[in-house]
Amino acid sequence: MYQVEFLKPRLVGLRFAGHAIPLEFLKDLAALEGLIIEVSKWQFLQEHPDRRRTHGLSQGVELRLTGVEAGSAIANISLFLGPVGAPERQRYLEAARGRVFEAIRAATNKSRITDHLPESLLGYFDQFGRGLREDESIELTAPDDPLPVRLTKESRRKLVLAAADVRQFTEETTIRGAIPEADQDKETFEVLTSEGRKIKAPLHPQHAETILEAFINYKKGARVLLKGIGRFNRQGRLEALDSVDHVASLDPRDIPARLDELKILKEGWLDGRLGKAPEPASVDWLRAAFEANYPEDLALPYLYPTAEGGIQAEWTLGKTEISLDIDLYARQGSWHSLDLDSLDDVDKCLDLDDLDSWVWLADQIRGGASTP
Amino acid sequence: MNERTLLHRQVHPSFCQDGRISSQAFRPTPKDHSLLSVYDGDLIGAENAWIHFTRILRFSSLGVVAVTVEECLDKNLAVRSDPEPFLEHAVIDFSGFTKAEVERKAKQLKSVAENRGWLYLEAAASSPAAGDRA
Repeated sequence: MYQVEFLKPRLVGLRFAGHAIPLEFLKDLAALEGLIIEVSKWQFLQEHPDRRRTHGLSQGVELRLTGVEAGSAIANISLFLGPVGAPERQRYLEAARGRVFEAIRAATNKSRITDHLPESLLGYFDQFGRGLREDESIELTAPDDPLPVRLTKESRRKLVLAAADVRQFTEETTIRGAIPEADQDKETFEVLTSEGRKIKAPLHPQHAETILEAFINYKKGARVLLKGIGRFNRQGRLEALDSVDHVASLDPRDIPARLDELKILKEGWLDGRLGKAPEPASVDWLRAAFEANYPEDLALPYLYPTAEGGIQAEWTLGKTEISLDIDLYARQGSWHSLDLDSLDDVDKCLDLDDLDSWVWLADQIRGGASTP
Repeated sequence: MNERTLLHRQVHPSFCQDGRISSQAFRPTPKDHSLLSVYDGDLIGAENAWIHFTRILRFSSLGVVAVTVEECLDKNLAVRSDPEPFLEHAVIDFSGFTKAEVERKAKQLKSVAENRGWLYLEAAASSPAAGDRA
């Protein structure tokens, strides 16, 4: 078997810290093999217009993961070839790699992607990098091309959608919603999102119990969290779930789900004349702040909109009532806790961009909010 | 109106999550000029107050909770009839209090009203905790 170093994808992002590649990401790397091989076949046929077949170009060709280096995770991928015609086949595969790199570069630089790859092959990017998250990228280098190209969620979408006849693309996605419909015969269900959209999804046997329980409790407000492969239109709007990998019942006070509901409030939500709508980007900031700073072991707050366009978080801890009136623009919260028996209360202004404020808040809630 | 008179307060749907009412339901907004609107329970029942609020005034309400006049006076909150918008209209007056004092009184009133339970609820199934108290 003929072996040569071929690619060194470097996975960048928090998930890949510590010299490790999550197993779920390996399928993204596996898709790279299919892409390279198909591009090499195309390259061969371009150079031999009188041929219709690629004469075993891809036979015995494999890309294998031979190691993982440190420095965010760097995957060492080698090309393995059967000995017959190896040098020529290697040339086509390396040329294919070059074209893939140039296409990714074009997507990053906003130049024409189809100068490097035909539209018919761009669909392979739908499988490669599908698991990338917002803060992640794959940097690709090759032994003869040390200048890295970077595939991000954004550039991947551009590559897939550069084919004019492509109407949809797929991506890993997470959604929250209620289950108003389930069809056990067709093995499908629908998720009703906070925006009021219904998204169809497959009902896998391993998730049936959780899904059907949420369906039965739909009118009681039951909601679920779903992670899977979403199918999006060209405008980036989720149209369906192709597969569901994970389902979990949500706490009735799930913070992201509740903030999604508050995000879609319209101006005048409070009796038509009052009620400033919370600014969506500011609500997203609050969601991220809670995710980063609010300990998982603490009682979840109740969240309500305020007439001034903010969010009020409230807790009831025994005989203590607590409110945190959050100004989303100033990113500050006015804390007020009241012991209903003694009528002792505590007022404090919190800078919610300051971790110390969250630490203080968590201490208050753990302690039943009785101390200033 | 006397000390035992119930004062019906409408609860906006956004001020109720998983059956729990926000203290904002008992706190005047800046545009209310420190006056919290309620219905005089001696002149109208909870259900009719809800019907009037939602179908005549065309505002949103999940349901009706209440405090008594006495419960307001205990917190130094004056209560008076205000029939100008409509006959059954009354106000709880939060004038003259600091923001912190208003917050304290709002929390106290909310707690009292929650303990009394919903006097009328549009859809009991949408508020499981309320169903336990109604």
